[in-house]
Amino acid sequence: MRLFKKTNIDFMGNRKIFYTISVVTLIIGLAGIFGKGMTFGIDFLGGTELLLRFDNPPAISDVRTAIDKIGYKGSEIKSFGNPNDILIFTSEQAEGGKVAEQIRSELQKEFPSSKFSVLREDKIGPKIGAELRRNAIYAVGATMLIIMIYVGFRFKFIYGLAGVIAIFHDVIATLGVIVLLNGLSPHLSLEINQTIMAAFLTLIGFSINDTVIVFDRIRENLKIHKADSLFDIMNRSVNETLSRTVITSGTVILVLIVLILFGGEVNRGFAFTFFIGTILGTYSSIYVASALVLDFTMRQEKKVK
Amino acid sequence: MKKNRGKLFIIVSTFALALYFLYPTYRAYNFEKELSTRVGQDSAKYVVDNEIAIRESKAKRIKLGLDLQGGMRVVMEVNVLKMLEQIAKNKDDQFALLMTDIAREAQTSDENIITIFQRAFDAKQIRLSRYYGSLREDNDKILKRLQDETDKAVDRAMEIIRNRVDQYGVSEPSIQKQGGRRIIVELPGVSKEDEVRQLLQGTALLEFKLMKDPDIIYKTMEAVDKYLAGKGYNDSTSSADTTKKTAAPKNTLSALTSKSDTASNAVADAQKSPEQQAKDHPFLFLARPNQQGNGEAYVSENDKDKVMRILARPDVQKILPSDMAFYFSSKHLFINEGVKYFSLYALKKTPELTGTVVINAQATIDQSFNQPIVTMEMNNEGSREWARITGANINKRMAIVLDDAVFSAPNIRGKITGGRSQIEGMANIEEARLLEIILKAGALPAPVDIMEQRSVGPSLGEDSILAGTKSFTYALIITVLFMMIYYRTGGAVANIALFINVLFIFAILAAFGGTMTLPGIAGIVLTIGMAVDANVLIYERIREELATHKALRAAIDAGYGKAFSAILDSNVTTFFSGVVLYQFGTGPVQGFALTLMMGVTANLFTAIVITRVVFEIMVERGSTEINFG
Repeated sequence: MRLFKKTNIDFMGNRKIFYTISVVTLIIGLAGIFGKGMTFGIDFLGGTELLLRFDNPPAISDVRTAIDKIGYKGSEIKSFGNPNDILIFTSEQAEGGKVAEQIRSELQKEFPSSKFSVLREDKIGPKIGAELRRNAIYAVGATMLIIMIYVGFRFKFIYGLAGVIAIFHDVIATLGVIVLLNGLSPHLSLEINQTIMAAFLTLIGFSINDTVIVFDRIRENLKIHKADSLFDIMNRSVNETLSRTVITSGTVILVLIVLILFGGEVNRGFAFTFFIGTILGTYSSIYVASALVLDFTMRQEKKVK
Repeated sequence: MKKNRGKLFIIVSTFALALYFLYPTYRAYNFEKELSTRVGQDSAKYVVDNEIAIRESKAKRIKLGLDLQGGMRVVMEVNVLKMLEQIAKNKDDQFALLMTDIAREAQTSDENIITIFQRAFDAKQIRLSRYYGSLREDNDKILKRLQDETDKAVDRAMEIIRNRVDQYGVSEPSIQKQGGRRIIVELPGVSKEDEVRQLLQGTALLEFKLMKDPDIIYKTMEAVDKYLAGKGYNDSTSSADTTKKTAAPKNTLSALTSKSDTASNAVADAQKSPEQQAKDHPFLFLARPNQQGNGEAYVSENDKDKVMRILARPDVQKILPSDMAFYFSSKHLFINEGVKYFSLYALKKTPELTGTVVINAQATIDQSFNQPIVTMEMNNEGSREWARITGANINKRMAIVLDDAVFSAPNIRGKITGGRSQIEGMANIEEARLLEIILKAGALPAPVDIMEQRSVGPSLGEDSILAGTKSFTYALIITVLFMMIYYRTGGAVANIALFINVLFIFAILAAFGGTMTLPGIAGIVLTIGMAVDANVLIYERIREELATHKALRAAIDAGYGKAFSAILDSNVTTFFSGVVLYQFGTGPVQGFALTLMMGVTANLFTAIVITRVVFEIMVERGSTEINFG
């Protein structure tokens, strides 16, 4: 079975169109990030979070009234996954687990007819929250740096740089998408927490993986077809790897759809973020990374002349 | 065949090794299944019969993370600053000021406390010898000693916490030190948060303190009352809630004081309105002396903080005798109209004896009063001291103070020899048992603060296991089917490699005592994607080579040869991002990074070496055509 016959698409000739698409995506992404604002989860904010499973759940608004009464105004209360599970988040976090204790006893008092069990209870102190935020930024920075060095070392510096720019493109665009989609469905929680963070780091790895495979083909073709222009070689390489790119990304996307549907509430945010990232990453390895290398190299050649 | 003999040998032996590491997990699973079918006597006998085997297999099996089996994770930081504050001598206002500065800085900084400490002292040009060590010692020497002491305190705190956890009876707890002064405790299967917090955080500072003479106590309290009334006392810090709170015990006051006032005539005029009373007797209105004159006073739960605030005021401190300190009872004495009332005790500041002499503790139910108690045994030195102290203070009251709360204050009836004592005042036997553990394990050298506390209930764990297995199975089925359809024979070979890859990940986890978490399962699912990618790369190349009408053998060689650099580079980059994730992530994220790294590494072996050996053997056996779809 074959999805692709030998293709001969002029990818590089159309790169201006794709630059435009990328810039527009980035602008939308940035608008989402700064316009709507990122919603951080408890990991990065610090606070107290309870996930409770009720026998017969009270109305969310009643829970809110009860929690407002004990002084945790502005708490975030929503159903999580299925209607019996209610998630309560407050940025308050007294010493020990006092806040959670208070909330639990208040709910018991307020809704004696609906028993609940604690599915999850987290309390994160402000120092830990700040630390996790810092570590997240370090992690993204360190990954990009290592990738740039490794790819620069295995290919040429310009390839490393272009690869990292492509990653940056993927991260910003994906972040924009999940910021915009967050809160639209109760079944899809896309708050920025540690799991989503992990998704971003994996997507960085995957995006560069795709890019490296295209670069690898370019490196090989440069050796074989010495007379051809870089423009032609790039087109040929992208076409040659197209079938592999689509099949691999397709399989990963299939697996991710499975994770989204059956992986449970905890893995859903991860899988969804990675899903968006894989689509963007596949696109960027063809149109952003390779095209950038082409433009950088052509400019340099002009200078030399 | 000969050419591949070496490779085949390596493949078979790694496979055997993987099975060896996975065997305990399989056995532990079987034992559990077997146990769940048996009940009562039968199951107990089964456990005894297979005790060693069960224990061994449990120790070597793949452990489930807290997110899968439920439990608690607590990150604590040893408050070394508090300890430094405690061991300082000649503490004055300047010292207190410095300490607040240091505490503020330490709150956000990750720097070594001693470094911050040194900088703060240097900035103010204060010699450390003023508060620590002897005058002749120079700063460096003192700093070095303080550093030693803080290091020791963290180690000791960890040891004590381990002791407590062991005695509490958690199976497979994990207690780790992170950085300079952080301790991470993971308790699988535990969900009683309040108990765990008490277990981990209770400093268990046990002190035996003599109660001051009731006459002196009441005179002092009256003096404080008069002083405050004279100043037109008003608790400016909480003037708003003063009105709210005083409204509640309106009748209580008259009920309490109308009977008799032998101890003090200060609150005689019960007919006055509460507002008037509060104005006339600002202190005694909050802390009402006991009518029997036993030296205690009642304070409502709402006023506890306020009373302590008053007593801590520097101007009030001047009125108090220098060796008098105030403590509340651990438990409320009575409830009036829904408001709990606590006893206020005035004790001698310096303890007669501390918990360091306690060598054993035992929680029981006191037969005569049917209440939970903890009996303590002291060491020889402690017993001698205890006999001397009790002998010299007959008919006085000795308060037993634990973590700054008075648990009981019995009257000393006679000299106590043999070093026995008991603590009363626990709410139930569980609390008594917790206290027993804490007393036995010893007191923490410094208080610990809980920085992070996460707990997962068992039902969420079950949900997660179900979700994890389901997604894992579906992902595997989809991938396997796709490979079979798209690459035919090649796909089947790749699928074998894929199964071995997953087997290897589990085996590596088992071999290194790793933990399987939900994100870890996600990591494996992703590895499946990566593994497929490697084979897709190779097969696409082989197809290209076959299209140029190369012989099968040559096409396979060229395909593997040309795909190798791409696979290596892409796997190495993914591996690096795994390393970074592991380095900067915590708990769950690390689990993900771990399986991803293992999977990517195993992938290089399974997708490149194993599949190739299979093809080469097929070619050697005479296949001239292998279907790559």
